Amino acid sequence: MTLQQCYEALGGDYNDVIGRLKSERLVQKFVLKFPDDGSYKLLLQSLEEGNAQEAFRAAHTIKGMCQNLAFTALGQSAAALTECLRGGSLDGCKQYLPQVQADYERTVTSIAEYSRTL
Amino acid sequence: MPNVQKGRRERILVVDDSEMNRSILADMLSEKFDVTEAEDGEAALEILSQQAHVFSLVLLDIVMPRKDGFEVLTEMNRMGLIEELPVIMVSAETASAQTERAYELGATDFIKRPFDASIVYRRVLNTIFLYAKQRKLMSVIEQQIDEKEQNSSMMVDILSHIVEFRNGESGLHILHVRTITDFLLRKLIKKTNSYSIAEADVPVISLASALHDIGKIGIDDKILNKPGRLTDEEFAEMKSHSVIGANMLQSLSAHKDKPLVRYAYEICRWHHERWDGRGYPDGLRGDSIPISAQIVALADVYDALTSERVYKPAFSAEKAKDMILNGECGAFNPLLLDCFAEEFDNIRAIFTGSLSENITRREVRNLASAAIDPKSVTASERTLKLLDYERMKYNFYAQLTEEIQFEYDVESDLLRLNPIGAAKLGVESEIVSPASDAMLQKQLGDKWFSSLGEVLNKTSPETPEYRRECQLAINGEMRWYSVIMRVIWTEEADPTIASVIGKIVDVNSTHVAMNRLKEKSIRDPLTGLLNREGVKEELEHKFDNFPQRKYAVATFDIDRFKSANDEYGHLFGDKVLQELSERLLHGTRVHDLCARIGGDEFLIVFDYDAEYDIASIVARVYKALCGKVDDFDLTVSMGVAEMTCCSQKFSELYKKADIALYVSKNNGKHTYTFYNDSMGDSVPQ
Repeated sequence: MTLQQCYEALGGDYNDVIGRLKSERLVQKFVLKFPDDGSYKLLLQSLEEGNAQEAFRAAHTIKGMCQNLAFTALGQSAAALTECLRGGSLDGCKQYLPQVQADYERTVTSIAEYSRTL
Repeated sequence: MPNVQKGRRERILVVDDSEMNRSILADMLSEKFDVTEAEDGEAALEILSQQAHVFSLVLLDIVMPRKDGFEVLTEMNRMGLIEELPVIMVSAETASAQTERAYELGATDFIKRPFDASIVYRRVLNTIFLYAKQRKLMSVIEQQIDEKEQNSSMMVDILSHIVEFRNGESGLHILHVRTITDFLLRKLIKKTNSYSIAEADVPVISLASALHDIGKIGIDDKILNKPGRLTDEEFAEMKSHSVIGANMLQSLSAHKDKPLVRYAYEICRWHHERWDGRGYPDGLRGDSIPISAQIVALADVYDALTSERVYKPAFSAEKAKDMILNGECGAFNPLLLDCFAEEFDNIRAIFTGSLSENITRREVRNLASAAIDPKSVTASERTLKLLDYERMKYNFYAQLTEEIQFEYDVESDLLRLNPIGAAKLGVESEIVSPASDAMLQKQLGDKWFSSLGEVLNKTSPETPEYRRECQLAINGEMRWYSVIMRVIWTEEADPTIASVIGKIVDVNSTHVAMNRLKEKSIRDPLTGLLNREGVKEELEHKFDNFPQRKYAVATFDIDRFKSANDEYGHLFGDKVLQELSERLLHGTRVHDLCARIGGDEFLIVFDYDAEYDIASIVARVYKALCGKVDDFDLTVSMGVAEMTCCSQKFSELYKKADIALYVSKNNGKHTYTFYNDSMGDSVPQ
């Protein structure tokens, strides 16, 4: 599996990220690092505990990383959740979570597959 | 020039709560910069509070736990860092309220997520460069203000010392009064704004305080230095010094309205007034006494109490303080007494340490930063635009000539090239730490930077220009270039190199053409050998540069050359000459010079080591020259003269060789002869 195929699988924009970061080696390095980032876990945990502020920051971080890596699908669902949480309240935000979860699973699964073929 | 060679790398602080984002930024920048990472605002502030000076720039995220980006900016403002350390915000937050707030808090620029490597790099570089320029400007202004201040301060010092020495006091009284005045004023400004004095007036009033006793110049010596008690009349005259001083200042019509003179007038006239209205000369009461005079009065009294005088011993600092606060000596504004009590420890320290130095530095610093107020940025933006315009104009002309232009700034360790230059060298147009840049090393050689340093070291502030034509291998091709550089030195007492500007112009074609022309003028077109002028020039060059070597000159001509021409025609004659030239070049060694100096007349300069035997060299060459050309039996007659002493000129050697040649001809031709003194020194007719 090539890195470009991995991007197709996870719903990302390979050309965009290569255009910005210039080096495939760099992109690969950060893509492989993505599943280790604790923000997603923090997001779920904060929502569980009802900590809207912490959840906002975690969603915001996920959104930022996705923008940098051009993970378009997860970036969009994370952005929607982030905007909902920005007000500081959890009301109505849970409805955005399933999409984020689905996109996140798809993203890390694709990366895991890609990583196995290296 | 250690400054240029050290090649210091700039350090950047990257503040972002996402490790991945930090790491992407660090990767983009780490080739050219050193990077320190902080995982949130609080960690960043901790780092900055300890070592802000090591950073050239901060990249700052907005949304972070513990302390966010705005809090970091606010804190940097409080720490006074924001003016010196540029901050670029890095965020996906692009709502205009957010960006507006960051700019208001002093952020320099915004970089939007997602990052683009080249934009991040370029923005960082530009910002660092801009701030380096601003720092340089700042230090220039500081220095100028410093000089100006020092001059006027010196004049006042001289003036007040004249009075002091006449008065038999040490020079310290003026300095003490001035320093105490400075402390009390600053304290007062902090306590109240009921007096219309601004921070900027403080240095002026302190300076004016030095003139408080200037009127004593009009008081009779006998009274001024009388050891015992003054009579009533004498005391009355003594008191007149305040009015005398004030009148002196008032008569300075040209400067009457200058703040310094205005304050000095107040101080001179009223520094003996009392808060209770029992002072002199005008018996003013309370705040009708100008605040400048009130302060100097207190300073004057305190210093008088703590100094020894002809009529009293010196009191201790504590005793003097008590006497003033208890109203035993003078009567003062209660608010001023509070200031005095609170500043007492600092004032007492004047007598143990040298505080006045610090005060002057601080004043200068304040003035300088007022001059480069961030609010005045519109002016500098305009200047930058003008600079850009100038650069564009210059680039345009440079494009026409295809020259490489460069500027190197030592402090930011940044090399800038014009687009043409960068393209020619195949490098970026902005290069951080050029000394260690791999592409430049490849283009210009490993040692280019240190050899540049050596060259630049030979310039000085008086002779800052360097011009030279030299061969450089740019793009792997050795060509002639004209290098012109101008070094800009700092204006310090011990100047160092601040920056270098210059250009490299390709002069290869001109150079080659010149060389060809020169070659042409010294060579014989038929045979390619040197001509008479050429051999003379080359030999003199050898004499001058290698005087330890031995030289001999041989002249020869072709036997029966006229008959060869007659018999076989002129074309054949040319062929003989060319053939002989070939044999000559093959028969001689590489350092020997060969020339055709006339029709069939040739010349050789033998250049040989002392241990060689010239006779055997000549014999070998002579043999190589003779031999048939077609049917013509080519032989030559030769005369040889050795150089016997180093001072001999080419013309003398040539004459002696010619004499020996004549001898060869007389001996039946087809032979060679060495000159000796018995042959005389002229050719027989």
